[in-house]
Amino acid sequence: MLELDAVTKRFGGLTAVGEVSFRATPGEILGIIGPNGAGKTTLFNVISGFYPPDDGRVLLDGRDVSKLPAHQICALGLCRTFQLVKPFGNLSVEDNVMIGALTRLPSVAAAREEARRVIALCRLEALAGTAARSLPIGLRKRLEVARALATKPRLLLLDEVMAGLNATELREMITLIRTLHAEGLGLIIIEHIMAAMMRLAHRIVVLHHGEKIAEGPPESIARDPRVVDAYLGEEFVLAGP
Amino acid sequence: MTALPQLLVSTVLLGGIYALIAVGLTLIFGIMRVVNFAHGEFLMLGMYLAFWSFTLWGLDPYFLLVIAVPLFFAIGLGVYALVMRGVIHASHNVQIFTTVGLSTALQNVALVFWTGDFRFVRPWESSIVIRIFGAAFNLSQVIAFAVALLFTLALFAFMKWTHAGRVMRATAQDGEAATLMGIDTDRVYRLAFAIGIACVGVAGVLISPLYSVYPTAGLQFVLLAYVVVVLGGLGDMVGALLGSLIVAAVEVIGSYVFGSAWKEVIYFVLFIAVLVFRPAGLLGQRGAEALGV
Amino acid sequence: MRRHALAAFVFGASAAAPLAIRDGFFLDSLILILMWGAVSGAWNVAGGYAGQVSLGHSAFFGIGAYSAALMATRWNASPWLGMLVGAVVATGAGLIIGYLSNRLKGPYFALATIAFSQVLLIVASRWRGFTAGSEGVPVPFRPGFWTLGFASKVSWVYLILCLALAVYLVQVYLERSRIGYRLAGVREDEDAAEALGIPSRRLKVMAVAASAALTSVCGSLWAQYVGFVDPFYVFSVDLSIRFSLNAIIGGVGTAMGPFIGSILITSLETFLRASFSDVRGGLVGIYLIIYGCLLIVVVRFIPQGLVGWFGQRFRAMRLHARA
Repeated sequence: MLELDAVTKRFGGLTAVGEVSFRATPGEILGIIGPNGAGKTTLFNVISGFYPPDDGRVLLDGRDVSKLPAHQICALGLCRTFQLVKPFGNLSVEDNVMIGALTRLPSVAAAREEARRVIALCRLEALAGTAARSLPIGLRKRLEVARALATKPRLLLLDEVMAGLNATELREMITLIRTLHAEGLGLIIIEHIMAAMMRLAHRIVVLHHGEKIAEGPPESIARDPRVVDAYLGEEFVLAGP
Repeated sequence: MTALPQLLVSTVLLGGIYALIAVGLTLIFGIMRVVNFAHGEFLMLGMYLAFWSFTLWGLDPYFLLVIAVPLFFAIGLGVYALVMRGVIHASHNVQIFTTVGLSTALQNVALVFWTGDFRFVRPWESSIVIRIFGAAFNLSQVIAFAVALLFTLALFAFMKWTHAGRVMRATAQDGEAATLMGIDTDRVYRLAFAIGIACVGVAGVLISPLYSVYPTAGLQFVLLAYVVVVLGGLGDMVGALLGSLIVAAVEVIGSYVFGSAWKEVIYFVLFIAVLVFRPAGLLGQRGAEALGV
Repeated sequence: MRRHALAAFVFGASAAAPLAIRDGFFLDSLILILMWGAVSGAWNVAGGYAGQVSLGHSAFFGIGAYSAALMATRWNASPWLGMLVGAVVATGAGLIIGYLSNRLKGPYFALATIAFSQVLLIVASRWRGFTAGSEGVPVPFRPGFWTLGFASKVSWVYLILCLALAVYLVQVYLERSRIGYRLAGVREDEDAAEALGIPSRRLKVMAVAASAALTSVCGSLWAQYVGFVDPFYVFSVDLSIRFSLNAIIGGVGTAMGPFIGSILITSLETFLRASFSDVRGGLVGIYLIIYGCLLIVVVRFIPQGLVGWFGQRFRAMRLHARA
């Protein structure tokens, strides 16, 4: 579904992403991990169209989308969330999600209905009328996912949706992700919380200094000496199940 | 090109004045990250101060400087406490409309008290014409330039060699980090703003013999100052100097080629062009991207 | 329909008033209130609903005013045609400004719009061959509908009321429609909106262009009503600030806000003008000092404006009443 072919992104003299290639297929949850500054979010920015790659290509269903702007890539079925969540603060939760739904649906009424459905799926019904800016971080993250879901993507990119969640919220987010996967949604997840990643991902890509240093199922990644090396000195959160 | 010496001299003299205005503005903007739409009004107030002192008491504007500096510094402190403090971390709308409101209020205070008539300050220095190498200029211009240069250099020295200056530069680079280091950013902002207003007030006094004085005199200068500041890079004082010279050159040459009636069009167009094509400033530094441009 | 109660009241009262009150001064004030409300509503499309705060909207107003005036004086054309031409030209200018809005944010965009309006001011005031330069253009009065020559102020009240209603409905549309919601997303967070498939750059440009066209139409009608186009007035920064002032005070991003703001501000101005008309001209500037201070206070402490503020209290009261 999604293919990266030697994607490179430079900022001045810094190569944030260097010749990264991998494939994401429907039906699997792909994880992307790496120490801070490895280039994970930059990679998401390139895939989702916020930055054009300096070299290499991004292919969605075989079509080169490297130069397309973000809103067109979303229309093609790829949606992403932001690491630092960006809710539409002054609007209600329902309006937030509805704006996502309007991407595919032509009428406000239809979009509102879809928004209600997605809100129910993400267990946010009680807060549908609340202004987004009054939500605590855990619920903001869930809103971020709900809003992206409303655009009916085929491939969803989640950028550290678990950071800052407490144990209960974490469990609920994991359940949500599993549900989405069961419904056939393709997922690419950036995470720092290893325990969650190990349990969710079918395959993991490891980035370090912008380059892919390893790729494979969770068990082999955990044992890979290059990966352990890269994380040496880095503390990663092992949140409980 | 017999006009060249004149153009050069005019550019330098004008550039010096713009530098004083711009340096104060880049200080405020670089440290507080607030676009102050009322900046030109303090220039206007400086001009009126010079006018009234001259008209009522025959005081030469240059002697006035002794009072103008502390006066405008105090005004800066006051305005900061009353108006600017609440605006620093607020949304763009609040910043824009608070300073626009201030600008409107100040302009009309001037209008109400002193009417919209164009006023003129003509101290004896402005009638002395100096001619060198085919360039002619009057003593007022030279004094304005010299004093402006002095103030600018003093400001540079302050920023570079004093503790307070270092603290201000640190805050300009990263306000949050500065707070974490124990710097009282509120005091830094207050000082920066007061210095900036003092600079522009002094500039107003200095240029009063050179331009007519009226309530909306600040408008053209404020836009100009922003062109300079953006061109030179936000918070970059050397950039402000360079920018001032460039803008002065464009204005002087533009005037010469197209006539002074159109020179305002030139720098308005220049302003838009700079913002669109070179928002990071000439030196390509932390420029207007700091404002999310 | 409760939503439109305020509008129904204000517009209804405006429609009924000329039937009862024939005083010329009163009708003139009513026309101006509705007129400035409409322009502020037009500004609101860009500034409130799209979040692109412009301080140079007088550029569009002036384009409309000049189009109507020049078409009438130079080519003997109907001012309605002038209005159309003005709207087209203003849309073009709006596209330019819209482009700028994608390059510049917040205060810098505002500064650039000021510069733009001042360029137009200088061009209009110096281009003697075309615009009669700084003398301005008097608008000929030719009685009749197609020449917008109404001797009776009552006709003007109803004409401007139609304009006000149109602007109100445009804003309401922006609150309820698909495009309006997407625009709200752009206003709240452009990146997030972009990631959700909203073509934010295109929408912003469209909003600014629409706002420009509407403002221009208001300018054309204003020129016909007042009868004289002075470049130093129609392109002034003061006027631009005035447009935004009504919306800020009344409630930026609400459909009735600009009108409520206009009622307050225009009434205040008319009252002060009348009170001080026999004193030195400069004293009239007092109302502008008040505006300046009002702007500072309102934008800090009542950012949602009067309509927003009352709306919140009203909802809170109803919530309490239910509980």
